Amino acid sequence: MKRIGLIVVILCGAVLLYATRDFPAWGDPASPASTHVSPHYIEHALQETEVPNLVTAVLADYRSYDTMFETLVIFGAGVACFLLLRSFGARRREGWYVRHIPTGVVIHFRKRPRIPHSRFFERLDTEWVPHDLIIMTICRILLPFIQLFSLYVVAHGDFSPGGGFQGGVMFGASLVLMAISFDLRTALSRVGERILALLAFLGVVLYGGIGVLCMLLGGEFLDYSELAKILPVHAEEARALGMIGVEVGVGIAVTAVMAVIYVNIASAGRHDEGL
Amino acid sequence: MLEHIPVLLILAPLLAAFLVTGLAWIQSAYCLPLALAGLLGSLLASIAALHQVMAQGALSYEMASWPPPVGIELRIDLFNSLVLVVVSAVSLINLVASWEFIKREFEDRKETFLALYLLFVTGLLGVTATADLFNLYVLLEITSLSAYALIAMGPSSRAPLASLHYVYLGVIGASFYLLGVGYLYIMTGSLNMGDIASLLPAIWSSQTVLVGFVFCLVGVWIKMAFFPMHIWLPNAYTYASMTASRVLAPLMTKVMVYVMIRLMLTVFGAQYIFRVLDLGPVIVWLAVLAIVAGAVMALVQRNLVKMLCYIIVSEIGYMVGGAWMGNQAGMTGSILHLINDALMTFAVFLAAGNFAFKLGELRLENLRDLFARMPLSSAGFVLAGMSIVGIPPTCGFFSKWYLISGGLQAGQHAYVAALLLSSLINAILFMRVVEYAYFGEVRTGHGHHGGHAHGGEMDEAPVAMVACLLLVVASLVLVGLYSESIVSGMIQPFLVRSFV
Repeated sequence: MKRIGLIVVILCGAVLLYATRDFPAWGDPASPASTHVSPHYIEHALQETEVPNLVTAVLADYRSYDTMFETLVIFGAGVACFLLLRSFGARRREGWYVRHIPTGVVIHFRKRPRIPHSRFFERLDTEWVPHDLIIMTICRILLPFIQLFSLYVVAHGDFSPGGGFQGGVMFGASLVLMAISFDLRTALSRVGERILALLAFLGVVLYGGIGVLCMLLGGEFLDYSELAKILPVHAEEARALGMIGVEVGVGIAVTAVMAVIYVNIASAGRHDEGL
Repeated sequence: MLEHIPVLLILAPLLAAFLVTGLAWIQSAYCLPLALAGLLGSLLASIAALHQVMAQGALSYEMASWPPPVGIELRIDLFNSLVLVVVSAVSLINLVASWEFIKREFEDRKETFLALYLLFVTGLLGVTATADLFNLYVLLEITSLSAYALIAMGPSSRAPLASLHYVYLGVIGASFYLLGVGYLYIMTGSLNMGDIASLLPAIWSSQTVLVGFVFCLVGVWIKMAFFPMHIWLPNAYTYASMTASRVLAPLMTKVMVYVMIRLMLTVFGAQYIFRVLDLGPVIVWLAVLAIVAGAVMALVQRNLVKMLCYIIVSEIGYMVGGAWMGNQAGMTGSILHLINDALMTFAVFLAAGNFAFKLGELRLENLRDLFARMPLSSAGFVLAGMSIVGIPPTCGFFSKWYLISGGLQAGQHAYVAALLLSSLINAILFMRVVEYAYFGEVRTGHGHHGGHAHGGEMDEAPVAMVACLLLVVASLVLVGLYSESIVSGMIQPFLVRSFV
């Protein structure tokens, strides 16, 4: 079987190489790919959309319908992870673990302990995780900067490399970092499961909603220029604003889905302390 | 609002999917009505689209108002409006029929399941409506991703592994398709189907175009489970939740057949496919292999659902063979069979689902006494089986008729023989099920007294399930009776430019 696989792979490679003989020369300005549709983007994007970043203009306006479904692929992945992994059933526990935070000492109780609710104690799960003050402190300092930068990447997607996907992944990564350096429960106490789900929902609804709004205003689906009817700007600028709107939607959705996927995979759907 | 119909039929289930995920956390009782409303909206929009296409020709929708090669276009013509109606109708009826199942199998996560189901349907509708090769890929990913999850959620412990195999092959198929599209983009600089079709004749001799075409084709074949690339299908559909396989089995493979025919006729053109390349005879032989292999493998199965899965493999062979016959009759048969097979497969899977609702695992031995216990579902199953075999008043006969006459015209006698052989095997398969279901006790000789009265108590599946099954079975006969007008009113006008 392995041999057959090898032969198939070699054959496919050979076919691909065979096809390259007809390719236009590397970087040829006269090749069809750079003479047919792309000149339109390069020459007209700035006037038509007032967005200096061509890539953003193509992704979020000319082909915004594709990008909406790309966002949905991520959204769907989050929903699928939740569906497959999340377990709500009560789990049998082998005793209770409580950590005394100032000293890092972990106490094991056979029965449910009565511990005064304070910030010196926290409940642990049976999968014990080491507790490291240095990592926690460094991450605590880093987190706001990562999040601030990710917001910058989202907001600046129109002018420089960046956009909703990249910014959203960074923000999501900051949540994952929090979950790794502290523990999953801490991260979830800041941004709970319900909030994550609603954020993912909000993100995709923002994208789809802008599209539907354009339709209600009389244009085609996702035709942001129609937004000029309700915003005090002209049609081209409305396109730029529409793009920022959908990028923010993408950012929110990607952030939430990143966190949902991590949380569910890391704890096998139990949402306890995790990795 | 009428000019928005092409996008509305995709947006209706999409927005419903969004709202279901949101509402699941707030007020989960509204989720099912919302999902039904979304699917109903898309069914109504597809019927309206069909009506408009019949009246005034193809509908084109320029997404974000950018004209086609620059932006994305949705294009609905006679061919895909028919497919859209079938997809939206099947998914709506299945949700109505399967709600009891969903409640039983996914108590605490019904809403999430609904959201993925709606995403899956959105993807299928999007794939069918789009006129953009890359957009087709993106929507294919939506469809596949939700299909993987729907399969992996199956009640059987083997479901995750079956889904994983599907993931591997599905991803390979999607990569093949994407590579093919990339090659076409290099040579034409465009992604719009109509635009590529107008640019291609000048570069028909290019090897890159040929390889691009072959890669697209192989990708689509993997996704449609064309033998020998079918290995993911039987396990995936057998171990999936019945709700999922009832919608996956009739729609996923058929929509991929639609994509293949769309690529052949609209993007590359019959001229290129049949005159310039002349791959037809080779692929018809592959189809012969698929038909025979599917039928033979179906014969050795002891599990009803798995047997039906291998019948699908064989049916895919019919459609691929008919499409590559290179004449109008074959292509007509292939398109008609696409519609018919979606309905027939749906009907048998609905019936199998009804059985599974009461019986659990559907091994053939478990089906004893079924006619007495579930008379309506069994009758539906037999009628659907008759359609798959191809017995006249049902629709299966008419598409097979066109396929056979196409095969005879092209002189592909092996294909005709394979088709007849597999119909014969299908007849044996369904007779065997009927034998178990009707004469089960006689055959085994367990003469336990009073057993008949005990086992023969009527224990029919819930009303919604049975009603949906009977509705679909009635549609099999109706489509059969009207197949003449479907062919002359829709399929032939669509094909007239391709085969002159």
